[in-house]
Amino acid sequence: MKRETYIRLGRMVLLLAVQLLVLNHLHLFGYATPLIIGYMIICCETAVSRMSLLWWGFGIGMLYDIFSNTMGMAAASCVLLAMVKPSILKLFMPRDMVDSFKPTIQNMGLTRYCWYSVSCMGLLHFTFYFLEAFSLEDLLLTIGAMIGGTIIATVISVCVEYIVRNRIEEREVGK
Amino acid sequence: MQNLIDFIVKYKHWFVFFLMEGFCLALLFRFNNYQGSVFFTTANSFVGGIYSAVDGVTSYVGLNSVNLQLEKENELLREEVHEMKRELAAHRIDTLQFEGFNRSRYRFVSAQIVNATTNHSMNLLTLNKGSQDGIRPEMGVVSSSGVVGIVFLTSDHYSIVMPLINMKSKVSCQLKDHQSFGTMEWEFGSCQYGYMTGVPLHVKASVDEVVETNGHSDIFPSGIPIGKVVSMGQSDDGLSQKLKVLLAVDYTSVHNVSVITNYHHAEKRTLEFVADSLMNLE
Repeated sequence: MKRETYIRLGRMVLLLAVQLLVLNHLHLFGYATPLIIGYMIICCETAVSRMSLLWWGFGIGMLYDIFSNTMGMAAASCVLLAMVKPSILKLFMPRDMVDSFKPTIQNMGLTRYCWYSVSCMGLLHFTFYFLEAFSLEDLLLTIGAMIGGTIIATVISVCVEYIVRNRIEEREVGK
Repeated sequence: MQNLIDFIVKYKHWFVFFLMEGFCLALLFRFNNYQGSVFFTTANSFVGGIYSAVDGVTSYVGLNSVNLQLEKENELLREEVHEMKRELAAHRIDTLQFEGFNRSRYRFVSAQIVNATTNHSMNLLTLNKGSQDGIRPEMGVVSSSGVVGIVFLTSDHYSIVMPLINMKSKVSCQLKDHQSFGTMEWEFGSCQYGYMTGVPLHVKASVDEVVETNGHSDIFPSGIPIGKVVSMGQSDDGLSQKLKVLLAVDYTSVHNVSVITNYHHAEKRTLEFVADSLMNLE
């Protein structure tokens, strides 16, 4: 297997651990739980084909569902995000980029990256909470959970991006 | 084939996407009680709605065969009613009468009116049954409302009926309450009204009294309604009454009819003819 695959596998395990052990116990305003597992798909560069994106999304979604007893909800949401993510990224990435493009704050700028992250996380949370509620009753509660979850997940993903990637790059520059 | 394979290879991620989503939704509905119950309830009501719509359409399409079946049933019931009436009358007269001599002469053949005129002086109706179905000239034609007319001509598959609303039509009839005989005729004009002529002056007919067949002519059994009296008047010569009658059959909408077959009628006519000839010889 390629090195990239190992990195992604590690990232997946780490994200799942954080999600299941920490974030699943966080209920902002009583109901908004952020889904950081979406970061797994968001951070993939454009060189990753749609097909492998779909499999990664399906994998992390299914694992989350199995451990948090929400069969099918996260998997369906992640697969949808994986399918739509390249199109969303095209809206925010510079037009003259031909080669593999990594969606990072350094490459896109903070504002663009935030909008990109909000769009992707919004879609993920919208699908997940809609499937969980599965009715239009208590619509305000569902929308509240979507917005709350999206904001927290976006903030976390931006922070992770900002801190981790910066350090990696600093290390690479130091070498 | 190559194009199809190319198409599938090019858009394989879409196929995989739909497969994955389908699998996820199947898991969602299978392992989550709430979502599963909502989905299956909605799906059931949706499928139920489709089934009821399909059922409505198919039952509407099948109305024609249902009509034909009902017509057959009507035919049998009419025969049965006639038989019952005859039995009842026979029992009133003589309860020990041998029924072998008394079998009904009348049978009913159902037919549809395929062509009709109502605005001429000599109106005619065309039926979709003819001599091959046992229909002969001078057989009575009735509908569920009452007398329609008399068969005038027949071919193998069609017959022409002279309805009551034909100026040449004359049907023997009687007032139901007074048992007074007369003849049902028609004058050119409205196809709703006819005239009962030849009613004696002393008979006090009343409005709404039923006019029915009297059974003398052998074409119709007795007691089939023709219409109701609307008004009373005198005939032109002043010797009898002429009653205006609202006909029971609406000729503008009548479609299904029954022809009353009485094969003894020709035999009776022949016998009467022979008797007349013999009388003339003497």
